This record gives sequence, C-alpha cells and structure tokens, in this order.
Amino acid sequence: MGKVIVVTSGKGGVGKTTSTANLGTALALIGKTVVVIDADVGLRNLDVVMGLESRIVYTSMDVIENRCELSRALVKDKRVEGLMLLAASQKNNKDDIQPEQMKAICTELRATHDFVLVDSPAGIESGFRNAAAGAEEALVITTPDVSAIRDADRITGLLQHEGVEPINLVLNRLSPEMVRKGNMVSQSDVVGLLNLKLIGVVPEDREVIASTNRGIPLVHNKNSPGAQAYMRIAKRLTGQRIPIPELREKGFFSNILDWFSGNK
Amino acid sequence: MNLMKLFARKPKSSGVAKQRLKLVITQDRFDANNRDIKQLHRELAEVLAKYFNFTMSAAQMSLKKEGNSYVLVADFPYENAG
Ligand SMILES: Nc1ncnc2c1ncn2[C@@H]1O[C@H](COP(=O)(O)OP(=O)(O)OP(=O)(O)O)[C@@H](O)[C@H]1O
Ligand SMILES: [Mg+2]
Repeated sequence: MGKVIVVTSGKGGVGKTTSTANLGTALALIGKTVVVIDADVGLRNLDVVMGLESRIVYTSMDVIENRCELSRALVKDKRVEGLMLLAASQKNNKDDIQPEQMKAICTELRATHDFVLVDSPAGIESGFRNAAAGAEEALVITTPDVSAIRDADRITGLLQHEGVEPINLVLNRLSPEMVRKGNMVSQSDVVGLLNLKLIGVVPEDREVIASTNRGIPLVHNKNSPGAQAYMRIAKRLTGQRIPIPELREKGFFSNILDWFSGNK
Repeated sequence: MNLMKLFARKPKSSGVAKQRLKLVITQDRFDANNRDIKQLHRELAEVLAKYFNFTMSAAQMSLKKEGNSYVLVADFPYENAG
C-alpha cells in the first residue's frame, strides 16, 4: 500500500509544481513506482514541466465522468520507468470535482503504487480541498518571504484540522548569500516560526527555469544544487535518514569550476 | 541631521521580517481558532457568573498587541449597581 502526499502551499508560485515534478521523478529514479496527479484543474502545468503535454489523451475528469478507466488515463513518463502522470482537465474548473471523487482516485492508485503525489493549486478553496481530500500526508512548500511563510502557516492549520499527518516542510529558493547579508530569513528562522518538520531546503537555482523550458525535470541533471536537494528529499520520503545541511554559498573554487564547465 | 540619517545603519531586513511574521502568525492562529475562543469565552462566563454580576452582552475576548508580543484580553464589564 503506497502513500498519498499532497504538495501544497497556500501562496501561489512558490514551487509546488516544480517540487511535484522533481520529487516524483526522483522517487522513480530510486526505484519507486509513482503517480503524480495534477489537481490544478483549469490551470494545469505539471504536464509541461514534465515534458508530457503532447501525450495527454485523458484527464482525471474523464475518469470521474466514466469516459475512461483510471489505468488508461495515466501517461507514462518517457525518461524514467515507473513514473506516471494523471493530468487535469483544462476545460473544467475547480468546482467540477468533488473531494470524494479525488479521494476515490487516490485510494485506487495507492493500492498499486508506492507514492501518489498530488500537485495542489494555490489558495485555500475548493481546489486545495480536493487536492488534500485523498492525502494522508502533506508537503508544505514555502519560499523565505513573509507572505509565503504566513500562508504556509495558514495552510498547515487547515491540514492539521483535516487530520493530515505528518506535514513536512520544504523551504524553496533559499539564497545563502542573501541570508548572510541579512536580507533573507534563514532556514532556522523559518523552522522556528512554523511548527513543522523540515524535510529539505532547495536553493535558488537558475537551472530550474532552464529545465522547465526543456520539459526535463531538474533531477535528471545530477550536478545542479537544486537537483541534489530534491534527490535528498526523495530519499528522506522513503525513510532514509539523511541530515539536512545548512546551505552554503558557492565558494570561489566552485565558481571557477562552473566557469570552466560552461555552467555559469 | 539628514546626513546622520544617511549614514545610520538600517536594521537588517531579515530581522524585521522575522519579527513581523511572529506577530502576524500569532494573530492568524488566534483568528483560526475562533471556535475554541468562543468556547473558552462561554466557559469563562459561566464560572464568572457564579461570583460576579456582569453585562453578558458586552463581554468580549481579544488579542491585544503590547510592544513585541500579544496578550489575551478577556473583557467582562462589571454591572453597575442599579
Ligand atoms: N528553486 C528554484 N530556483 C529558481 N526558480 C524556481 C525555483 N523553484 C521554482 N522556481 C520558479 O518559480 C516559478 C513558480 O514555480 P511553480 O510553477 O513550481 O510554482 P507553483 O507553486 O506550482 O505555482 P502555482 O501556485 O501557480 O501553481 C517557476 O517559474 C519556476 O521555474
Ligand atoms: Mg503549480
């Protein structure tokens, strides 16, 4: 029996879709069977971030309205074995799905897969409620800015109220240089403010945008700091104990290395 | 004077952010627990009613900011002798 984990945040644009795509891919790379579900009905994006947009025939709406069986609606990833996507309908809106319907889909999928990751839309309304309906666990994504952290606390309260447990925190887009200069709250500040267990810190990484442009999740490029961070989080999700390092700025030496490898 | 201002060190913005977040999250959590607060309000009123006469309709509970922290204020106006 697999785990259903909702990836959520409250505030928009903090990296839910990026995290879902990369953690789903990372889990499959370490041999797990994974389904990633796009629960952002009407504003789907997980398909393009994963580079699967041209292969979508059916969506979760077709499953709910009995036009297609669940197993047939899953799109196989091209690059990794064991990774599938269930796309969201673009023609519908968030109120066209009921929480029980999402729950039924998640229950069916967890019987045959190790992980089901649900990419939640922003906000605390019906879209979020649907995304969380079938989940037993949650990943709350935040960036180190005031509004994202505040919304993360709000969404945490709602998840706790629904009995979702554990709720783990992913701190995304941290810039060690800005923390050092005193212009960004630090990893320990965020953990102190939110009553959540930190499961990983993803640095600000330009490769994220490049990888989205290509439709190839970052974790396929093993050298990037963002990819390494996501790989570590995936391993922690499988129960491996890997300490969370305080992120460091790139030193003079690694900058030189980057320059030589054309990676600057 | 303006020159002084120019050279005075601005407080680090991360410290300001942390302080503001502490306050706003406390207030948000208080509001989110509104149902519990109402229950507490009812229970407090029951206990107090055994000892004092107060104007029930004017009683209220709130969170009040004092400097860098919040205090829970329970306001139960005492009934004036008729
Ligand atoms: N670690 C990172 N470094 C740099 N850019 C990032 C990082 N994480 C996310 N981004 C960028 O931030 C933007 C928003 O990311 P993403 O779409 O994953 O957020 P989201 O939470 O799913 O947004 P929405 O609420 O709209 O669904 C994207 O352009 C993405 O490339
Ligand atoms: Mg998204």
